[in-house]
Amino acid sequence: QIVLEADLTIQTIMEKLQSYKSRVALNFEGIQYRVGDFQVRVGKVAPSYSETMRGIIMEVEYLPISSVLTAKQILEDFVDAWKDALSKKSLPGQFLHIEPNFGEYGLSDHYTSQHTAVQYATVMAQLIATVQSAQVRT
Amino acid sequence: MECVVQGIIETQHVEALEILLQGLCGVNKERLRVHELCLKSSPNLGFVSSEVRLVCDLEQPEPTWIVRHIGGAMRGAGAEQISVLVRTMVESKASKNALRLFYALGYKLDHELLRVGSAFHFHRGAQITVTVSSVNKMPKLHAIDEAVPVTPGIQLVEVTAPATADNYAEVVAAVSSFCEYLAP
Repeated sequence: QIVLEADLTIQTIMEKLQSYKSRVALNFEGIQYRVGDFQVRVGKVAPSYSETMRGIIMEVEYLPISSVLTAKQILEDFVDAWKDALSKKSLPGQFLHIEPNFGEYGLSDHYTSQHTAVQYATVMAQLIATVQSAQVRT
Repeated sequence: MECVVQGIIETQHVEALEILLQGLCGVNKERLRVHELCLKSSPNLGFVSSEVRLVCDLEQPEPTWIVRHIGGAMRGAGAEQISVLVRTMVESKASKNALRLFYALGYKLDHELLRVGSAFHFHRGAQITVTVSSVNKMPKLHAIDEAVPVTPGIQLVEVTAPATADNYAEVVAAVSSFCEYLAP
């Protein structure tokens, strides 16, 4: 498993090489909030060619700590409290969280933008699998 | 896109050329030490074969990597009237695991070389870079310290300038004009 950090022009290079073709492109767009030491981003996920929403993404960041292990418990506590508040609203759907294995990508415990990329890749894979599963059922 | 002019010079004349370039460009020379790896796609990858270059600048305190794709040269009646090579070129800075990634994508190392010499970066009608360098091959994989010149006694002179579809004519003119000073 590899995560590469590169300029935006890497996309142009990959298109010109023609060895791989883009299969799915998703847009994540929403609003950022600040709640004390927490930064929360909530947005909709839609294919780049369409406004049809495929899901909702929520990103929670605990700003004072950059250690993945150290911040794990406080992030879980925040999400549990938020889910409890959300359950009282009787809204449809539920948020799923899959913990990426950063170690498989050779990433350390110190959180970086590469960790974020891995998390978004995991979210995308999860979302695609959920959409495909729903299509098979229908 | 970029404009390119290439030439060769005997190593014994490099010092004189560098003095000339310093005067013409108005800048001091910078040391150049670049490890270039040329990767090609394996036969069953994609519909067409493709080539990509990974360039590692060894002169930086921490080596930096660039992924570079060089496309075809401009062709046709217009191109025949231009004395400068105009070709598509896209590059991207990348983290140091770029080589691992392209190996994982199915690319294989076709050849690698080490370029050692000097570079001049300046603006004269266009942003121009002149490099004077020996091109060296490695007897063993990635053995930079054992590199030997491909053509002993001869060095490569390259004049390059980035361009776009909108301004390549001006860049061609600037590069052509500058190159007249380097003509033997």
